[in-house]
Amino acid sequence: MMTEVKKKVPGIGLSLDIYAVALALLLALLVRFNLIPAVKW
Amino acid sequence: MATTALARPQAVSLGRTAVELIPGLLLLAAVGYAGKFIEQSIATYTKAHHTTFPNIEYVLWAIVIGLVIANTTGVPRIFAAGIATYEFWLKAGIVLLGSRFLLGDILHLGGISLLLVALALSLSLTFMHPLGRAFSLKPKLTSLLAVGSSICGVSAIIAAKPSIDADDEDASYAIAAILALGAISLFTFPLIGHTLHLSDKAYGLWAGLAVDNTAEATAAGALYSDAAGKVAVLAKTTRNALIGFIVLGYALYWSSQGQAQTVSNKAAFLWKKFPKFVLGFLLISLLATLGFFTKPQLTSLANLSRWAFLLTFAGVGLRTSLRDLGKQGWKPFAVGAIGEVFIALVTLGLVYTADLYLHL
Repeated sequence: MMTEVKKKVPGIGLSLDIYAVALALLLALLVRFNLIPAVKW
Repeated sequence: MATTALARPQAVSLGRTAVELIPGLLLLAAVGYAGKFIEQSIATYTKAHHTTFPNIEYVLWAIVIGLVIANTTGVPRIFAAGIATYEFWLKAGIVLLGSRFLLGDILHLGGISLLLVALALSLSLTFMHPLGRAFSLKPKLTSLLAVGSSICGVSAIIAAKPSIDADDEDASYAIAAILALGAISLFTFPLIGHTLHLSDKAYGLWAGLAVDNTAEATAAGALYSDAAGKVAVLAKTTRNALIGFIVLGYALYWSSQGQAQTVSNKAAFLWKKFPKFVLGFLLISLLATLGFFTKPQLTSLANLSRWAFLLTFAGVGLRTSLRDLGKQGWKPFAVGAIGEVFIALVTLGLVYTADLYLHL
C-alpha cells in the first residue's frame, strides 16, 4: 500500500520552497499585525 | 521501487484541488496531534500519580504511529496527496523557525557549521568513492549515495540525478538507502547523544551535520531537546545551502567524462539548485533581529513552526515503508550504511573539537 502512496506522491522539489516561504511570510505578517490570535502550543 | 524522489522535482501543482489534499492533511494532523496528546497525557498521569516514566517527545510518538499505520493497514491512495505535503510543512516550519535566531547566532553557528560541513564533506566524498568501488557499485550510484549522505539526503539526490544523467534505478536505490539510514538514525542518534552526555548545541550540530534528510535531522534534533532541534535545523540548513555547489561539481565531472550534459551557465545552475527556503529563513531571522516582532509574537511564530513540524513528523512515519526499504539491494545499503557511520564518527569528532576550540 505504501508503494502506492509513494508512486502517487506529487513532485516535491526546489520550487516548492517558494510556496513554503510565501506561506511562512504571510503567517509572520498576520502575527506581526495581530490579524490572528496568539498561537498556543 | 518507485519513490517520492523519482517524481519530477517541480512544485506540487497549485491547481491540485484542495479536496484531494484534505484527507491526507487531516491524517497528518490526526497522527501528529495523537503524538502530542500521548506525550501530554503521560506527563499529566505521571505528575498526578507521582510516578516516573521516561519523557518521550511527541516527535517520536507521531513517527511511530505513522510507521505503524503505514506498515500494518497501509495508507489508502486517497491520503497520498495530502501526506506528500509533509515536506512543504517542513520548509514552512524551518522558515518560521528563523524567528528564533538572531542573525548573529546564524553567522556564528552557521559559520562553524559551514566549516565543519566543508571538512566532513571532503572526507566523506573521498571515502565514499573507494568504498563504492570496493562493493562494485556503479560509479553514478556511488556519486548519488555520496551526494545524499554528505549533503542533503533525498533533495540532493533529486537535484543531482538529472545533472549527472543517472538512471532512475540508481536514484531509487540511493534514495531507499538514505531513507532507511535516516529512519535508523532517528532512533540511534538521541541514544548516542545521551550516552555521551552531549550538550544541546553539540548534539544539535552533530545531528544537523550527520543525519541526511532534513525531516529526519529536524526530528533527531527535536527528539533530544527543543534547543538541540533548533541547532540541528540551523546546521542542516547550512548543509542544504551547499547542494548547488556539490551537484555542480558532480555535473562538471560527469560531463568531462562525456557521460552528462555540459553546464553552460554555472550561475544559473547554482541558483536553480539553491534551496530557496534558506533565504526565507534568513529573512525572518533578519526581521526578528531588527525587532520587527514583539516577544509574544516571536512565541507565536515559534509555535506555528512547531505545528508545521508536527505535520512533518507524522508524514515521516506515514511515508516510511519498512517492507520497501528491505527490498533494496544490500550493496547500496551497505555502502550507504558504512558511509553514514563514517560521517557520523567524523562529524562527532569535529563537533567535539569545535566545542573545545570554537566554543559553540
